[in-house]
Amino acid sequence: MSWTADPRVEQILARYPDKKSAVMPFLYMAMAEHGYLTDEAIREVSELVGMTSVQVSSIATFYSMYKRERVGSYLISVCTSVSCAILDAADVLHAIEDEAGVPAGETGDDGVFTVEHVECIGACGGAPAVQVNYELIEGVKEDKGRELVRWLRDAAPDTVLGDEMQALFGGQRSFEWGPAEGEGATGPVPALDALGTTGGSS
Amino acid sequence: MKILTTRMEAHPTDSHTLARHRATGGYEAARHALTSMTAEAVHEEVKASNLRGRGGAGFPTGVKWGFLPPDIRPRYLVVNGDESEPGTFKDRQLLERDPHQLIEGIIISAYAIDCHEAYIYIRGEYPRPARRIERALAEAYDAGLLGRNLFGTGFDLDITLHLGAGAYICGEETALLNSLEGERGYPRIKPPFPAVEGLYAKPTIVNNVETLSNMPWIVENGGAAYAAIGPEGSAGTRLFSLSGHVKRPGNYEIVMGMTFGEFIEEYGGGVREGRAVKCFIPGGASAPWFTGDQLDLPITIDDVGRAGSMLGSGAIVVMDETTNVVHAAHSIVNFFAHESCGQCTPCREGTSWLEMVLARILRGEGRPIDLDLLLDVSDNIAPGLGWPPKMTTICPLGPSAVSPITSILRNFRDEVEAMIPAEVPVA
Amino acid sequence: MPDPVKITIDGVEHEVPRGELVIQAAQDTGTYIPRFCWHPRMKPVGMCRMCLVEVDTGRGPVLTTSCTLTCSEGMAVDTRSDTVKKAQEGVLEFLLINHPLDCPVCDRGGECPLQDQTMAYGPGESRFVEEKRHFEKPIEISELVLLDRERCILCARCTRFSDEVSGDPLIEFQDRGAYTQVLTFPDEPFKSYFSGNTVQICPVGALTAKPYRFRARPWDLEAVESTCPHCPVGCRISVQASQNQVLRFLGVDNEPTNQGWLCDKGRFGFEYIGSPERLTAPLIRNDAGEFEETSWATALEVTGQWLQDIIAESGPEAVAGLGGARGTNEDAYSFGKLLRGVIGTNHIDAQLDDGLDPQFLAAVTPRAAIPDLDTAGTILLWGPDLKEELPVLYLRVRRAAQEGANLIVVHPRRTGLHDVATHTVSYAPGRGSATLSELRAGTGELAAIKTLLMESGPVVGLVGRTGYTEDPLLAEAVAAFVRDLPDGTILPLARRSNVYGALDMGLAPSLLPGRAAVSSQDARMSLSAEWATPIPEFTGRDAAGIVEALRERQIRALFLFGADPVRDVPDQPAARQALEAANLVVAIDQFLTDSSRMADVVLPAEGFAEVEGTVTNLEGRVQKVAQLVAGPGQSRPPWSIFEDLAGTLGSSLGAVSAEAIHKEIAAVVPAYRGITWEQLEWGPGREGVVVPAETGEQPLRYVPVDIGVPVRSARLALHSARTLYDDGVHARFGLSLAQLAPGATAFLNPDDAARLGVADGALVRITGSAGSAEMEARRDPTLAPGTVYVPFNQEDGGDIGDGLEVKLEVLS
Ligand SMILES: Cc1cc2nc3c(=O)[nH]c(=O)nc-3n(C[C@H](O)[C@H](O)[C@H](O)COP(=O)(O)O)c2cc1C
Ligand code: SF4
Ligand code: FES
Repeated sequence: MSWTADPRVEQILARYPDKKSAVMPFLYMAMAEHGYLTDEAIREVSELVGMTSVQVSSIATFYSMYKRERVGSYLISVCTSVSCAILDAADVLHAIEDEAGVPAGETGDDGVFTVEHVECIGACGGAPAVQVNYELIEGVKEDKGRELVRWLRDAAPDTVLGDEMQALFGGQRSFEWGPAEGEGATGPVPALDALGTTGGSS
Repeated sequence: MKILTTRMEAHPTDSHTLARHRATGGYEAARHALTSMTAEAVHEEVKASNLRGRGGAGFPTGVKWGFLPPDIRPRYLVVNGDESEPGTFKDRQLLERDPHQLIEGIIISAYAIDCHEAYIYIRGEYPRPARRIERALAEAYDAGLLGRNLFGTGFDLDITLHLGAGAYICGEETALLNSLEGERGYPRIKPPFPAVEGLYAKPTIVNNVETLSNMPWIVENGGAAYAAIGPEGSAGTRLFSLSGHVKRPGNYEIVMGMTFGEFIEEYGGGVREGRAVKCFIPGGASAPWFTGDQLDLPITIDDVGRAGSMLGSGAIVVMDETTNVVHAAHSIVNFFAHESCGQCTPCREGTSWLEMVLARILRGEGRPIDLDLLLDVSDNIAPGLGWPPKMTTICPLGPSAVSPITSILRNFRDEVEAMIPAEVPVA
Repeated sequence: MPDPVKITIDGVEHEVPRGELVIQAAQDTGTYIPRFCWHPRMKPVGMCRMCLVEVDTGRGPVLTTSCTLTCSEGMAVDTRSDTVKKAQEGVLEFLLINHPLDCPVCDRGGECPLQDQTMAYGPGESRFVEEKRHFEKPIEISELVLLDRERCILCARCTRFSDEVSGDPLIEFQDRGAYTQVLTFPDEPFKSYFSGNTVQICPVGALTAKPYRFRARPWDLEAVESTCPHCPVGCRISVQASQNQVLRFLGVDNEPTNQGWLCDKGRFGFEYIGSPERLTAPLIRNDAGEFEETSWATALEVTGQWLQDIIAESGPEAVAGLGGARGTNEDAYSFGKLLRGVIGTNHIDAQLDDGLDPQFLAAVTPRAAIPDLDTAGTILLWGPDLKEELPVLYLRVRRAAQEGANLIVVHPRRTGLHDVATHTVSYAPGRGSATLSELRAGTGELAAIKTLLMESGPVVGLVGRTGYTEDPLLAEAVAAFVRDLPDGTILPLARRSNVYGALDMGLAPSLLPGRAAVSSQDARMSLSAEWATPIPEFTGRDAAGIVEALRERQIRALFLFGADPVRDVPDQPAARQALEAANLVVAIDQFLTDSSRMADVVLPAEGFAEVEGTVTNLEGRVQKVAQLVAGPGQSRPPWSIFEDLAGTLGSSLGAVSAEAIHKEIAAVVPAYRGITWEQLEWGPGREGVVVPAETGEQPLRYVPVDIGVPVRSARLALHSARTLYDDGVHARFGLSLAQLAPGATAFLNPDDAARLGVADGALVRITGSAGSAEMEARRDPTLAPGTVYVPFNQEDGGDIGDGLEVKLEVLS
């Protein structure tokens, strides 16, 4: 079943006075289904929100998390903003690029990894910070970065869990995270049921 | 004295649940406000608290609410949870660890400003905080704390969570509103300010996560009690994000007034390996830097302002003596170049030009004239290079990229010069 | 000035309207503030930052964009302070760092705002030594427009135009920050009827138009102001030529008409002028039945002889004239004077059985003007799809609707305005009269619309035919309805370029020049006195009648003046038979069209940009067309051809120049009385002259009738209407536009398609009153049930005719 028939589509539309507002959650839903924002996915969104395809793609390409090109099963994002930068994030990035065999900004031929460097992900106290499919790992050192890549390749988890990866590869955290969570990501979109929109049934 | 983090410290495993929240007096402030106070009375308490916004600009919250035109409905309340300023991670903790405190704050604020639709905009890179908010919202709806007829008062409120998708500029309040409307995240020309013409062109209050998380305490204890905490102009407690070369980075809730030096020592455990502080950023990547000589400066909004910088988003980044300041500055300029929305010519072209020149200096291909060039290009983005900056742009993002440039060229010019090779290498 | 405030600009005090943008107020008082993104006809966005000024409202000078700031009392604006100059130099330097230095090969070189402002405000040398941003060099974003992203300065004028003004947002910014670029979506080209405007308003050479690309350098161009010859909106244009070749049209901002915009048909429809297919010498059919070039003298002599013979045998009633709506008023007037005054016939029609009653078009009152749309409370459009037939009027209505006017669109199918309409009503052709009765009664769904029309005036009724199967009387009934509303005015709609002028000049069977009825004794007497010749009294035939009479050999000789009935008359087979049956067909034309090809004599005419004169738009606005180039070969101005034809009949029209004819018109035609040639000269603030809708001397009043168009139980009702691009003669001989016609297609409501078993893309045969044609079928959910829509005059469209009922057979 296509995501466009998902009952959440109507629920999301009902949250806003103007259906254009649903473009962001819909882009996430389309991306969750297609793996990235194919032309087809953009057209699907455009029909639901009443914009032209090029307008939807204008929104999609404005934001760095919407991908218009194929993304690997694991999107590894290494923060290189200032707090991470001064704690050698560049070395961690290089280690990960090297271990994954994929330069930053690209996707490996086998479709397993996409590596990217990203701007601040709000984990400056746990520098250097890394995300896999937006699940966070703080305090990642070079060697742990390599281990993370090997583990992803070998264990090939369907769902990546922040708590699990933090325990295996993380170090210094920004703050105590509280209890462990069962939810994690199954693709290059943030692991959130409603994919951007939630609230009462109203 | 703590306000925001008491529950999470006392109950590390379940501070985010409705059960714990209720067991610790949660939603009582909201009930009290809705059942026994008028909206005006709540607003008066917030004014009396002298609470200043925690999103960066530090504008008094009660005053901002007063800008709403009296007769136009609907009005919207938008919660700014986009937290993307490098160095800042405090809202993440508040969202993750005490989401009901925020929701209660939203109920109180919405009541005070007579609004029935609120949106929480959380950055897309925060799935865990968003999940916690999502669950907390569901709990609150199930418990009748949101939706129709709250506390039997006839007051209705819906809260919608909206996820960003990777754009720092959407933290700027008008860009955030455009983003919510399904437009590109372009900051709008002001005036009109959101309070007059905001979301869907309706009066809108945009407040930061931390700002609103203070509301239950203010209602419970009174605005005057809040105002009494801390030095004048910096009332209340504040959650600071400490990062960089300190031993114990983290979020620390403090009463303002202590010095940066005390804060870094007492909370951050001092600089790693006993090194000296070379410089530090007092309020997030946008703020001009202070040097190690300025550690005695008290942490207050006004003192920091007078000294030529800002407390901004409450992010203190400490750099020790080993830091290559050009590298650090480049990282920040690169951030702004990457995050420029691209509408203003000076920001779009200027920030990337600055980035390219710094990168060239880092590669060892700098030229002596590049230092003045950096300053002059900066001057064309933020004329006069003063603080707070004059702007040739719509929003302060472009001028923010100037902060690290002036910081290093005023304080560490010799270090930058030292990176310029004597002769320009033949390309 | 309604609400003036005092502001100072660079130390000088001025009174300006409160709330006006500072950039505009400064310009109006003589201070030009440089700008790139701001365009006076679009909402300000303040993006480029070029227009920065320092403004003091009492709290010290603040740097701000003058395009986003409105004037208020006491404001002090400094446009040249050191801070401002430095900021402007900075902005220019920023714009130039990534701008290629390819001015010598850029179409915009020489008329480039970026180039000009760099000269005026820019820094000297570039301090930018880094690598410039690179994009693939020009990419085709449509059949007409190319985009060079390296030259783009991201002012968003084009993207805003396509979204805000024309309503087809097919180009948009992609990516962010320094990577921002304008682009189309894959496989969705910038197919807009208005795309050329983006080329014109692009402040650099990022967008270029294929028809003009590399054709000339701006400094080699000669230009005159004129009026677009493609439809009766009458857009003001600049016609530009080099070496006797018209190379482009640009829109000129005329407040009441086009406000700077043009449609692409108007803008790019200049190519036919220089077509190698243009007629260069008179042609006469020889004994073998073939055309032979001949001299003017021979052509005229032979024509005169043949005509005299026919008149001698069958009387002047055996002569008829069709056409005249494509030329100037002076040409139309001369054509009419030749037919009525010299030959003595009333069989004259400028419309080709596809229009409306001439008395309705010419004289319906109370009449609206285009600017009335801006202040209308409610607009009722019951007529053609404006986007297809009167495109720049569509822009005006669209904006009025966006700015708050209620817009009601009544049409058998979704029109270009549906997305901004507050109410839409769809009906199957043939049900128009019933729909009007329902509206009049205000029953059912139409109650709300009726209320708006009664209570939310002023109402402007845009009234015309929705298609060719529509009974033309319906428009009159609709107009009668609007007239009776508390505050209603009417703008009657026809589509051929100077049809309003032609009717005013008397090119209709029932009308004398000046909208006077032929049946009026007084009018005939007074014209007869002016022309010093008797005016025929008998009832003239309209185009359909002329065709009929030719087939029945009651009319034997036909003048075609820029008319192509074989193509343009809805019943095309009948038109063909009529021309075959005629003893003499004289075509005054620029091309061998399907009709002039059947003539006995073809006289080559000069046309737009080759002749001067006046034209009248749909509001009755008289404007000038100017001469810039010479026509090809021996072609001549039509009025002079008519003068010589009169000469061969031993008479004279007294026509010596367009100006002289205009003078005669201003004397003879009541409504045009007093309009001078000089008054019509273009220049700043000149907007043409609106002919009054009523003059004391109009004996005619439009009398509305309620009609009962029969609602037939058609199996399928035909809706046939024009599209902007079709197989019309000017489009066919203009290379760029010829390819854009959508082609013949039968559109069906999905329910009908299912009922009849027509798959999307299936081949069907449509048989109508005039014949049948085979074409592809497509589903169109916006069509009223029971209707098939076939765009009119498409290549391979065949001859279906304008009968309401058609038969559909599925062939595959
Ligand atoms: C470039 C830019 C980025 C900003 N980012 C944030 C942000 O991430 N979170 C936030 O709360 N405020 C941010 N702000 C400040 C907001 O515009 C706004 O002032 C704030 O949300 C108001 O809330 P407050 O009054 O509660 O502080 C940013 C401002 C600018 C100019
Ligand atoms: S200063 Fe930069 S980020 Fe801010 S509006 Fe202008 S271009 Fe966008
Ligand atoms: S013209 Fe004012 S900002 Fe572009």
